[in-house]
Amino acid sequence: MGKLDQRNNGYGPNGNGGAAREEMLTLEVNAAAVEALSDYYDEPAWMRAARRDAWALYERMDWPHTKEEAWRRLPLARYPLANRQIAVAPKPLHALRALPACWLSPLAPQTQVSGIVVHQNGAVVYQDIEAQVAKQGIVVMDLHAALRTHGDLIRQYWMQGSITRPDFNKFTALNAALWHGGTFVYVPEGARTLRPLQAMVGYDDQGSTGLHHTLIVVEKGARLTLIQDRRSLEFLPELSSEIVEIYADEGAWVRYASLQHWGEQRHSVSVQNARLARDAHLLWVNVALGGQITKDFLRTDLLAPGARGVMQGLAFATREQIIDQSTYQLHQAPDTHSDLLFRNVLRDQAKTVFYGMIRVDPGAQGTQGYQANNNLLLGKARAHAIPGLEIAANDVRCSHGATVSRLDEEQLFYLQARGIARYDAEQLLVQGFLRPIIERVPLACMRDGLDEEIAQRFRGPSASAQ
Amino acid sequence: MAQTLEIRDLRVRVEGKEILKGVTLTVRPGETHALMGPNGSGKSTLSYTLMGHPKYEVVDGDILLNGESLLELSPDERARRGLFLAMQYPVSVPGVTLYTFLRTAASAMRGYGETARRNGDQRLHAHLIPAREFRQEVNAEISKLKMDQTFLNRYLNEGFSGGEKKRAEILQMALLKPRIAILDETDSGLDIDALRIVSEGVNHLQTELGMGLLVITHYQRLLNYIHPEHVHIFYNGRVVHSAGPELGEKLEAQGYDWVQAEFGV
Ligand SMILES: Nc1ncnc2c1ncn2[C@@H]1O[C@H](COP(=O)(O)OP(=O)(O)OP(=O)(O)O)[C@@H](O)[C@H]1O
Ligand SMILES: [Mg+2]
Repeated sequence: MGKLDQRNNGYGPNGNGGAAREEMLTLEVNAAAVEALSDYYDEPAWMRAARRDAWALYERMDWPHTKEEAWRRLPLARYPLANRQIAVAPKPLHALRALPACWLSPLAPQTQVSGIVVHQNGAVVYQDIEAQVAKQGIVVMDLHAALRTHGDLIRQYWMQGSITRPDFNKFTALNAALWHGGTFVYVPEGARTLRPLQAMVGYDDQGSTGLHHTLIVVEKGARLTLIQDRRSLEFLPELSSEIVEIYADEGAWVRYASLQHWGEQRHSVSVQNARLARDAHLLWVNVALGGQITKDFLRTDLLAPGARGVMQGLAFATREQIIDQSTYQLHQAPDTHSDLLFRNVLRDQAKTVFYGMIRVDPGAQGTQGYQANNNLLLGKARAHAIPGLEIAANDVRCSHGATVSRLDEEQLFYLQARGIARYDAEQLLVQGFLRPIIERVPLACMRDGLDEEIAQRFRGPSASAQ
Repeated sequence: MAQTLEIRDLRVRVEGKEILKGVTLTVRPGETHALMGPNGSGKSTLSYTLMGHPKYEVVDGDILLNGESLLELSPDERARRGLFLAMQYPVSVPGVTLYTFLRTAASAMRGYGETARRNGDQRLHAHLIPAREFRQEVNAEISKLKMDQTFLNRYLNEGFSGGEKKRAEILQMALLKPRIAILDETDSGLDIDALRIVSEGVNHLQTELGMGLLVITHYQRLLNYIHPEHVHIFYNGRVVHSAGPELGEKLEAQGYDWVQAEFGV
């Protein structure tokens, strides 16, 4: 990240741009928590009002029901929903190396990124940005602090997505009411970072609900590459409800690599929505490796001609893990292009669910929308693929396809015939299966790290061996 | 260490049907044997069986390498004992680059993983030949075969032309340095220059390694470059006639009709 003395906006050597509070905060999930959080962060009135409205919704709404298609195959009953608490435990660090090793090691070296923000238990512990990048007005920072520095901008975009809305479901209402810990990324018109920005969301306290909120605004003609990783360590079943909002203005270019490495007992729901204006381009890579049960809603809205969205995902589910994802590609305007490829590998008793929908609105002529979901089964695992198309325009090119397969015996024979042991040959094929997605992840060190993790998940103990 | 391959009265079934009906053949170190026979006579079945393809069921007979039976060994164990098969139809493996594949295979053949495995080291690179060292080696071999370096970054055999696949097979052979190599129609699909380049490569390896060669082909033109001491006619699942190199020329000139008449098969 350049020389030390060129940094600012952080807990690094160049001052403190964050809203670091030193007091701990522990709250029951209730109406009083809304006020307590707003007080704690000294929030503007509009945010307090937004939280109150969302809380009212939360109280009115029911948890999703398995009668709803998107929730049909998810054992929501296993989510620890009752008697939730939230806690904020700020422990600002003065150097990144003071982070727990398990969170430090997955980060790209500071020299390879232009800015970084690290969250621990709902509070920012470290943030830093290259001076050259900060000079352009680019930020990657604590969303709470940003309410003070970029309040009007945040207000303009706050929960304006098609699914990143308080009333999308009870999980989004909960996040809107009680979010704490947030990533704010802003790239002003025409600005661009040389290197990726990086965010880490981590939890290692117990009994606290993760309610992280990410807001990404990339203005006209600006360019952003962001890597956001999630890690946690828990001893009891934990809950996360996360929201990610991405707004790409005219001609913006966004690459978002979203990594999920939740700990073994985390039960999570994430609602993530990218909204693309005219000629905006998005490359969204979603990597789901962790968690006990994961439900993701991932949606790209192509709002104006020339918008183009590529969504690539990989999931590797082992043992009793469940990874359930609903994707949506909305073509609202003519001449928009979307392309989705999600690949899942399943081992042991694991289960994955993929619901994919391409929707082409009336009048969205000249649209191209593609969707593919491929599942590779290694054990007794079950992969469900439910692709869908809703097309209300006639001049479109759309396709979707889903496959479920096992390792190919002819390929295995070929590799074995070259001296590679069966098990290693299988591992090579699994890595090859996920290669097209890994290739889209920024930074060679991140790709190498993922290759290692995939190898470990392939070789790791199975449920029965535990 | 040079090796002798001995095939003894081998009978093989594929999906319930007997294809090999008693094949007997011995390939000694440094020898070159050509196997010629009509389409569907079972030549590829023989080569897959030698390599241990699970679809081919050995119902009788034996395959020995230096006197030890290979029948119970997996394909990778056979490969590590020094057997190599250049396949008639190499499969493609999307997602695995030629470079990654070669490095993994060469590392396995040279026992690189062993130390790491013993130490419980799971990291990927701990099981592989150091990148810089291997890159040099592979670059040297690839230029000998007049292949473009960019092939290394492409997925294994994916979208390779027929001839490119065959060259890639020989590249693998050059890196894996087998003791016994079976070339199943490696000449088909190669252009005239490639045929010469590949043949020179094979001859060079044979001299260097004292490799025994079993060359399956339909055409004499390969045998003009790779000179076999022995030519065998393969017909309906067995070797029906063996002779010297002149037999290849006779087959080229007369086809297989006379074989049926003369050997009553
Ligand atoms: N997997 C299989 N299932 C069914 N039949 C098979 C299988 N493999 C081989 N055969 C049959 O066995 C016979 C021998 O095939 P093989 O490929 O060994 O012939 P070949 O001598 O190599 O022919 P070519 O010169 O055309 O390469 C053929 O009739 C073929 O159809
Ligand atoms: Mg054949």
